[in-house]
Amino acid sequence: MGWMSRILGVIMAGSGGVLLIFGMDPTTGIFSYVYFFLGLLMMSMGFALITGGRQQQREQKPPPPTVTEIRCDNRECTFKEIRDFEKGDYILKPVDVPCPKCGGRMTVEGIYIVREEPEQTITI
Amino acid sequence: MQIGLPTNDFSWIINLAFFAFILIFSLYGAKIQMWQWLKQIEAGLIELKRMMLESRQTAIDTFKIYGRTEKDVASEIDRWLDYFTIMPVDLDPAGILKRLDHLLDNRRDRFQEFVSELAPDATEIQVQSLENTLEVSQVLDLIFRIVRHFYILGKKTGSQIMIMQIQMQMPDLLRIAKAYFDAIAAFSDGKPIGDGIGPLVITKFAREQGATPDTYVHEISREVGYYPVEFEERTVLALRATGPGGTVGKPGFAVKKLVEENKGKIARIITVDAALKLEGEELGRVSEGTGAAIGDPGPEKHAIEQAATENGIGIEAIVIKEDEAAAIGVIPKQVIDSLPEVIERIKTAILKRTKPGDKIILAGIGNTIGIGL
Ligand SMILES: [Zn+2]
Repeated sequence: MGWMSRILGVIMAGSGGVLLIFGMDPTTGIFSYVYFFLGLLMMSMGFALITGGRQQQREQKPPPPTVTEIRCDNRECTFKEIRDFEKGDYILKPVDVPCPKCGGRMTVEGIYIVREEPEQTITI
Repeated sequence: MQIGLPTNDFSWIINLAFFAFILIFSLYGAKIQMWQWLKQIEAGLIELKRMMLESRQTAIDTFKIYGRTEKDVASEIDRWLDYFTIMPVDLDPAGILKRLDHLLDNRRDRFQEFVSELAPDATEIQVQSLENTLEVSQVLDLIFRIVRHFYILGKKTGSQIMIMQIQMQMPDLLRIAKAYFDAIAAFSDGKPIGDGIGPLVITKFAREQGATPDTYVHEISREVGYYPVEFEERTVLALRATGPGGTVGKPGFAVKKLVEENKGKIARIITVDAALKLEGEELGRVSEGTGAAIGDPGPEKHAIEQAATENGIGIEAIVIKEDEAAAIGVIPKQVIDSLPEVIERIKTAILKRTKPGDKIILAGIGNTIGIGL
């Protein structure tokens, strides 16, 4: 649900509230019941419109990209490269290109995604 | 509002309306709620159907590059989406594990046959990954069909308990389906998954002790082999399924075979596997315990336990905690980062609980997709 229904919801809830208050006024007379229930109905429909679309938006987040981590086999050399995953990569695959730092052989040390952890709301 | 004392001639209409309102809600409230729940199930069902159709399309797209036309692939996959396995009779439990193992073997043979027919140009490694892709589509198809069954049945019979059950389980079903749906991309591209941490630990450990892909002993049981390595005057048989194709192999029977081949010499069996974490536990947390950490339907775990019991071998397990999404989706960084700690714990276990000269079986359980030897 888009912004349109959100705005419509706010308007409906607002006018429902006005009707409700109008209905509770003893001077309105015999139709106060009608106003009262109409106000309740409009308010609940309005709130339903406001909150309705929220769930879907959260689900449509794309998964984080997969990255390939390449490291030099030489333990003293600290060269490390992180690039996007390419089809055919696998962990511990020997890489064809030599290390740009020392010219040694390199290996795929890891393929992973970095998950964004949702903020911890429960701290127990 | 003037509740009570009506002062107008029309007030009886209003009063009637008021009582009718209360009557309707107290008598038909449940019906209204059923209607609401059915709508919620319907929304979930639409989502499940979308995931099912998209994963089916991914499976078709993955298969069609290996030599058959899209039309062929689509019709064959549809024929295979509801492939089933009938569990063996448990009224007569004698030999049930043997029968179950036989059925599982048959199932795997049929799968392999089907996949290699549908993807004639694929290599052995690709066939294994294709099998996994197909399995994920099957799971999504199954979830969709079961939920749809209860939805339609609930609608037909108006049975509250049927509708209630499915409505209450919907969030969990959607969560599981989402995990599988996200996983299919991993399988079709051959990316490593969280479940593969066991085999990865084994290879990292073995390489630290000087093993290479050439020292790996192939096929001691179906799609499983081991690295024989020396560690602190002990011989460690580091066992895992063969990668980087997607296979779990039959590591349980491999352990049993190794115990039989090295009669009396094995001092300890250590299994490493991914385990489901509880909500609130840290992703990638390492924990250890006693027993065989292997999540098969039964035969393999039984094989390990029996081999250990008959020969009086100590058995321990080290697990890495993951949620469903991590276990069947691309491996998250937190899980890979647990590697040093797992290896440290393995070394401690070996040094503390075995003597120099002993032989130890170290078995990494899990799917080896995207994890090389
Ligand atoms: Zn280097």
